[in-house]
Amino acid sequence: MDYDFDWSYIWQSRLPLLRGLQVTLEVSAIGIALAIIVGVIGGFVRLFQVRGANQVVIGYVELIRNTPILAQLFFIFYGLPELGMKPSPFWSGVLMLTLWGGAYNVESMRGALGSVDQGLREAAYSLGLRRAQYFRFIAVPVALRLALPTVLNTAISMLKNSALLQTIGLAELTFVAVDRASQSYRTLEMFGTIGAIYLALGLGLASFVGRLEIRLHRPFRA
Amino acid sequence: MRIPFRASWLLAGLLVCLAVTARAAPPLPAEIASQGVLRVGVKCDYPPSGFLDANRNFAGIEVDMARYLATKAFGSPDKAALQCVTAENRIPALIGKKIDLIIATLGATPERARVIAFSDPYQWGGGDVLVPKDSPIHTMADLKGHKVVVLKGTTEEAWFTDKMPDLELLKLNSVADAMQALRGGRVDAYAHDDAVLAQLAAKNPDLRLIGTPYAINVAAIGIRKGDTALQAWVNAELADMKADGLFQKSIAQWVEPPLQPLMDKQFLTPRPKD
Repeated sequence: MDYDFDWSYIWQSRLPLLRGLQVTLEVSAIGIALAIIVGVIGGFVRLFQVRGANQVVIGYVELIRNTPILAQLFFIFYGLPELGMKPSPFWSGVLMLTLWGGAYNVESMRGALGSVDQGLREAAYSLGLRRAQYFRFIAVPVALRLALPTVLNTAISMLKNSALLQTIGLAELTFVAVDRASQSYRTLEMFGTIGAIYLALGLGLASFVGRLEIRLHRPFRA
Repeated sequence: MRIPFRASWLLAGLLVCLAVTARAAPPLPAEIASQGVLRVGVKCDYPPSGFLDANRNFAGIEVDMARYLATKAFGSPDKAALQCVTAENRIPALIGKKIDLIIATLGATPERARVIAFSDPYQWGGGDVLVPKDSPIHTMADLKGHKVVVLKGTTEEAWFTDKMPDLELLKLNSVADAMQALRGGRVDAYAHDDAVLAQLAAKNPDLRLIGTPYAINVAAIGIRKGDTALQAWVNAELADMKADGLFQKSIAQWVEPPLQPLMDKQFLTPRPKD
């Protein structure tokens, strides 16, 4: 059967789609920022083997990495109220994205901090820098640059995973598409449109981080 | 011409009698009579309205209706040539003359009325609201200021968005999600189709229904546009069907006891005002 692709329906849906896009951007931006903070803190805990906290971070990372993200989301949204906490769909979404992205960022940061060249530390100490100064001026700036590509990878995944929040009733981009398609049956139009929007968002984020990388590497270039 | 007073009354009475008998028994259209069977599209996956029983035989309230019509037309319930239809193919099957009638949970909507004709409605249904037993919500007005969960794409979602726009709606994807949200205290009420909620209420004694119908729709028999003779015949037979108590019998036979009160209400009482 020929499907009659209706471009005008996409145009008619522009306002709800834009509102959905706004929610997607908000929840993803907050989640990505918080996940980077979680990643840096967790990365240091792992690097310094902070007693007690180290085991907690290992457990957290393994739990998040080895369970389905939808199960985590449902646990947050439907499970937490049983414990007396009722975060709204938006903050449940932020919490899910932060926990999920944070776990991957912990590993990225640990790897990046661990792969800072030993020679840099020896050089720093022989120049009389203290341990704290070495981390502040040498190790962390270098590690952040090294971690950038994998953190970007995680950020793009978080942006796309925010689509799962439609299952808990957050009116983000995918929710708008599903909601409208369930009333109009214009499924291909809606999913084609949001597919294109996610693609554009991902490419935009990648190009931004790409430029950031070049800028950050400027002092190291001969 | 002057007609004497008494004679005019007599004449009027005669006319009324004629009209009444004419309405009570319109003849079966010749086209149907000549084909010897009544071809009816019914649901095969939608108990208790229309479904296939364990032996793959047609069963259900609407199947009984089709067989009643065949009996009235040809003297035998076997003269109902039943065909399985779905929500997608039932109207094309009718228009394409594969069947003569649709008796398949067909809602009489204005959109469909542009393509087909309807009999008088035989069932009504609507939305209801499920709340915890100890909830302070007893009427639709009590919902104000409370959170309500609906499913995406349902009539109830559209109705609440339109009629109670100030209400905070949580829109989820499945009955299981909605029940979890209600159980976990994420929402105060769950609005959905009355038949779905009646089953849930029957299985969950800690929940109750508000019981005020809204977003009401009616089911009717679908007939090809222009088949006015058939439409008149079907309407007359529907009235007989009610008078003969067919619905009471069918409901007792096909509907689980906890759902019988709802079905009795939907088939036997007049449609409430919206």
